[in-house]
Amino acid sequence: MTKISDIAPERLDGKLMGYVPPARLRIAKKLKLHTRGSRRIDPISFEVIRHALWHVNEEHGATIQRVSGSPVAMYALDLNPSILTEDGEFVYFGPYMQYMSGVTDTQVKWILENRGDNPGIRDGDMFLANDPWVGAAHQQDVMLICPVFWKGELFCWVTNCLHQYDIGGITPSSFCPSAENAYEEGICIPPVKIVEGNEIRRDIEELYLRASRKPDAVALDFRAQLAGNIAARDRILALVRKYGPDEVKGVMKRIIDNAERAFLDKLDRLPDGVWRDRTYIECCRPGDRRVHRVCLTLRKVGRKLIFENDGTAPQDGAMNATFSGWRGSLMVALNQLMCWDQYFCVGGALRHVEFNPTPGTINCANFPASVSTAPIQSMEISLYPTYNVLSKMLYCDPQMRRDIMCIGGTSQWPGTLFRGTNQWGEYYGYVLIDPIGGAIGAFAQGDGINTGGQSRTPICKLPNIEHTEQDFPLLFLYRKEMVDSGGAGKWRGGLSAESCFIPHRTPFITQDTTSSGNAVPTSTGMMGGYPATVNTYKFVRETDIHARFARRSMPSDIDELAGRPEGLQLRQMNFRQNPADVYAVMWSAGGGFGDPFERDPERVADDVAERAVSAAAARAIYGVVLAADGSADAAATAALRAERRRARVRDGGRVARIGGAALAHLTDNLAVKKHRGRVHTCCAKCDADLGPVRGNYKERCVMEEQDVAAANPHIGDYKRYIDEQPVWRQFFCPGCGALIENEVARAGDPILADIEVDWKAS
Amino acid sequence: MKHYLVGVDIGGTFTDCVVLDQDGGITATKAPSTPGNFADGMIDALTVAAERLGLPFGEFLGRIRVLTHGTTVGTNALIQRKGAKVGLITTRGIEDAIHIMRGSRGIHSRDLDKLVHFPESQKPVPIVPKRLIEGVSERVDCFGEVVVPLNEDEVRAAVARLLAAGVEAIGVCFLWSFKHKAHEHRVREIIGEMAPQLFVSCSVDIAPKWGEYERTTATALNAYLGPVMARYLENLAARLQAAGYRHPLSIAQCGGGSIPLDRALEAPLLTLDSGPVSGVTGSVFLGRLMGTPNIITTDMGGTSFDVGIIFEHQPAYSFVADVAQYEYFLPKVDIQAIGAGGGSMARVDAATRTLQVGPQSAGAAPGPVCYGRGGTVPTVTDADVVLGYIDPDNFLGGRIRLDRAAATAAIAAQAKQLGLSVMETAAGIARIAEFKMADIIRKTTVQKGFDPRDFVLYAFGGAGPVHASVFGAELGVKKVVIPLRHIASTWCALGAASADILHVYEQVDIQVSPFDVARANRSLAALEAQARARMDKDGIARSRRRYAFSVDMRHKGQINEVEVPLPGGRLTAALLASLRERFYVRYEQLYGHGSSYRNARLELVTLRLRASAETPRPKLAKARTLTATIPAAAKRPARPVYWAELKKTRPTPIYDGALLRPGNRIAGPAVVETTDTTVVIHPRRTLRVDAYGNFEILFAA
Repeated sequence: MTKISDIAPERLDGKLMGYVPPARLRIAKKLKLHTRGSRRIDPISFEVIRHALWHVNEEHGATIQRVSGSPVAMYALDLNPSILTEDGEFVYFGPYMQYMSGVTDTQVKWILENRGDNPGIRDGDMFLANDPWVGAAHQQDVMLICPVFWKGELFCWVTNCLHQYDIGGITPSSFCPSAENAYEEGICIPPVKIVEGNEIRRDIEELYLRASRKPDAVALDFRAQLAGNIAARDRILALVRKYGPDEVKGVMKRIIDNAERAFLDKLDRLPDGVWRDRTYIECCRPGDRRVHRVCLTLRKVGRKLIFENDGTAPQDGAMNATFSGWRGSLMVALNQLMCWDQYFCVGGALRHVEFNPTPGTINCANFPASVSTAPIQSMEISLYPTYNVLSKMLYCDPQMRRDIMCIGGTSQWPGTLFRGTNQWGEYYGYVLIDPIGGAIGAFAQGDGINTGGQSRTPICKLPNIEHTEQDFPLLFLYRKEMVDSGGAGKWRGGLSAESCFIPHRTPFITQDTTSSGNAVPTSTGMMGGYPATVNTYKFVRETDIHARFARRSMPSDIDELAGRPEGLQLRQMNFRQNPADVYAVMWSAGGGFGDPFERDPERVADDVAERAVSAAAARAIYGVVLAADGSADAAATAALRAERRRARVRDGGRVARIGGAALAHLTDNLAVKKHRGRVHTCCAKCDADLGPVRGNYKERCVMEEQDVAAANPHIGDYKRYIDEQPVWRQFFCPGCGALIENEVARAGDPILADIEVDWKAS
Repeated sequence: MKHYLVGVDIGGTFTDCVVLDQDGGITATKAPSTPGNFADGMIDALTVAAERLGLPFGEFLGRIRVLTHGTTVGTNALIQRKGAKVGLITTRGIEDAIHIMRGSRGIHSRDLDKLVHFPESQKPVPIVPKRLIEGVSERVDCFGEVVVPLNEDEVRAAVARLLAAGVEAIGVCFLWSFKHKAHEHRVREIIGEMAPQLFVSCSVDIAPKWGEYERTTATALNAYLGPVMARYLENLAARLQAAGYRHPLSIAQCGGGSIPLDRALEAPLLTLDSGPVSGVTGSVFLGRLMGTPNIITTDMGGTSFDVGIIFEHQPAYSFVADVAQYEYFLPKVDIQAIGAGGGSMARVDAATRTLQVGPQSAGAAPGPVCYGRGGTVPTVTDADVVLGYIDPDNFLGGRIRLDRAAATAAIAAQAKQLGLSVMETAAGIARIAEFKMADIIRKTTVQKGFDPRDFVLYAFGGAGPVHASVFGAELGVKKVVIPLRHIASTWCALGAASADILHVYEQVDIQVSPFDVARANRSLAALEAQARARMDKDGIARSRRRYAFSVDMRHKGQINEVEVPLPGGRLTAALLASLRERFYVRYEQLYGHGSSYRNARLELVTLRLRASAETPRPKLAKARTLTATIPAAAKRPARPVYWAELKKTRPTPIYDGALLRPGNRIAGPAVVETTDTTVVIHPRRTLRVDAYGNFEILFAA
């Protein structure tokens, strides 16, 4: 397979393959760009204008939310505004749906290259676009892109993106889990001029709305997007009038330059090397029982980061993403881990990042692959491993170590789609939004955040149960955080939750599932930390729930109910839930960090008291012995842990060790040291030699391989969903039994070389 | 014989007291707050007032008609986590609602740069740990119908476990309880049988609103504060009574009015934020007097900056409040805390040669460098001192002596990194702070659908008048008013004194159009009955009662709710059409032209009654004549002040604000000093003293 770096640039035009902007944009001569940025701006004016620009973007986002008023905009915050320079570099994007940032600059650059001559780019124009091969996560994310002109010159761009309820396709909501290609999905629009000379082109608007099952809602959202762009454009022009165009442009460029500088400062403190992660995605179409491999390689070469996806499975079924979707996913983690101190200005970092995937793969699919489910499947499976590879790179620096984060919850979205007639006698269709409650993975110096949201949407909110029950014919039996759902570790991953309901005041509801990550955990931990729970559907038919209601005894868990359990598949279409049938869905939680045997026993005791960890897991995974009063028995715990560590060592722990001080720590239990003029990895606890730094330290470790179910108490039997066995591999220090790393793999896949640092001996 | 209206406001640093007599005489006093027992500071401030009036303490108290008290005791207990040990009883299955927090981490008023920096983005420590949350069997559905009757055996067992665990208060919140109150009230009875003295808070009595997370949070917070507040208020009331105060103590509440002591004891949550809200209440009062319907209020202190909005004489309301990352339901005057006030720290990034101000704050400790309490990072207050705006020997009437040399040295170090002069840097810190404030005030104004150009800006608090003329001009407001110069820094206490009695009653009754008018009217009548019972109990004459009804409506399928007044207090077929129209008008005003959606059905969500009773009105003295002549005594020795507009330091006239007379005008550059604050008049601005003694700052056209 060929990477995009080996493909002629003109073929990467957004038609068959995703658009990749060339180094130099080909822009029509008649379009005049304003490029002069003042270089002599005093620090005071810079800060005043910088803050004003940030607020322009905030006001832009708030305007969209206000005018739209839809639950998508207000709760899920599935929108994002941006400001870009005249040539499409990011100045700012907003704190809402982070995926949407990565697709914005490609859209702007494509318009600059393709629309300058015909139909032209002029003052008062705006372009509508949602073509995922030009730049969109999926068709439902519709962008409105507005060039801002000053005295006849293109000064900058303001843009926004807002998820639409429905823009056509074979499934209401335009998420089409059974589509075979893009022709069966929502309308796909390369950038078209929908506003011309400050007037909406009614013909184009009608063409757009015609595809939707909910044209009124789409029309209102279009007004919201329009109002947002107008507000942002007016504010920027007010700044230009007040401070002058060169001054404002100078500030924009310096915002990017400063962010670039901060990014380079970070790169300069890190070693060169290669970091890899590998994960799996399940069920690409109804009936599919395979797992599809997704690989991510991060290469750091001097002042450049290169991301690649070779080894990833070919595009298939209805689970793919395009180039811009993959790139946008990676940018989410890049921004959060490396640019969080630059107020959402990734433009500076992007000058030093290359995206070099292989077209034709699941997360860099060619037209006309189905991509409507991208954000909840292919993009999530692209994003989350990015946390791992970047975190492992950043870990080498003691300061940046504080910024890293394990994979969080809802790393694949377990979809619960249902429809029917509600308690008010009206037809309805709904996607249960509860999994947005997610969880945040563990940090290098602290626990993750229980139900702390999905990291890709940092300010989302899930609806109250009372909100959901008002509009839909459901009665929730519970929504609770799940014990043991967070990945175990020295620092525990955040807990996720489970929602459980029955139909209420309706004869039945009709459901679909769409999920992945139910057999193979996708929120893997890091540096010895364990994976979080998988997604889980639970379904029990004909329960005794109404009899329990009659005797005033509510259940706390679906397992307490009598009835007939039934397995649900990952894309099970059109199954019926009757009022005595109980349905529950748990979403994946946050991965753990570090060896669980290193967790403070008192913390584990508190976890048990606060229902975060079960007593069984406290002993089995954390090696903690609890006393009768629930406190940790320190002596018994130390003895148990020591005994278990001894069982893991090789040759009684008599292995070669390396003396001297560590040059650095590559992971929590993996150090590098000089050894006879060469650089070796070694155990950070006992100095056991784990071989030359360019080799794979895992090969020198004691490996233990088990069924994946051993990794988290919730995982269960993989055969319910997939045919090939996933395994759980643990790598222990041969000298002292410390846990150095874990990995989840398809049984036949080789041991992953997750770290290859290029550490010079000098 | 003179009698008095008194407002007392306890802040973090000072306890302020304002005494008004029937002729418009005003006495303002301050005493240091006493965090050990805040009642001491309050008695101190009242004692100073009595001395100032030349009255024995007992006689002074005996002459007070109404004493309204705004207190920060609740807020302090919350921030220092010194509330009660609380147990929570809830519907089995939703025990974790206040831990899940709707999957959000409480991002209100947090630094944006921490938003995606998850290691610094933890949820707050839960008010109630999981081990003290008990789920019991009961269930009501969205129609308010009982699906599972309350299991009283489980309730008793749960209460027994909580009591055994040593809880000092219990909160009770069930799903859909606002549609069916009996289950919560039955639990209250059972607890009463088992532990008669225990503080119990039921959600339907504190926040009968739709949404279990915010309702449970309100209930748990109320229980958390209950015992603390009871100890404080009962002690205070007894001390005042013993000293000679003869009327019921009245407590300022966050809805913009006051409540009687017994209501404050059962709903202490109402007192959170009541201090800053009183500032808005006072502004409403003054705005009516001066004929200023639209006001942006700004209260900039040493460690805080609060913004409120008054439109057509009504303060903007919010119905979801937040404190320490928790969100809870409570109808309150909307106050946005937008920054750190004078304590905002300035930081230089030498690599990029950039200067940032805030959002980090030096707080009260160590505070600005010039306080000499160990602060090393220069703040806005330090810049003010270096520039010459603030006289280091006369800060807060000389109560704190400031170290100008230390502030200058700290800023000089930053100036060197930036390649600017010390004065340029100090002026830059002030300018960045002022422009940031303008950006954020603008945002909060625009988000409510208002244009700042239609507003007058009121600046109070110790640090506000120093900077208000710049951020006011940048915002584009008509003018800046520093209200009642002699009490600008005790403005919240005046607000407390001017507060009406206010009770807000709400009932959620979700209906989709076409509305069932009879059903809505039954709910409205029930609200009115609640209000009537309350007013009867307090012996409030019928003629003093004011009932203002309103409904919250929205487009079906959307989130934005709009409060629409309901004159007459009942729905009629005739009123429905005008109600719809008012909804659309208000909706578009708030959310933008073209944003309403006339094809959609409307949804009625909450019915509301604000029942108020006027209290004796403070009277403000108004000068009969205006004079242009500035009294010679008002002129103080000039001192050098740096003016960024002129790019130089020049000797600047200084005035004693207390001695200026109505009608006086002062052209900038100049500085006017009062006991508690400093008014900075930049070049091209004019200060005018109006007939009430307010300072107005006018911008050159």
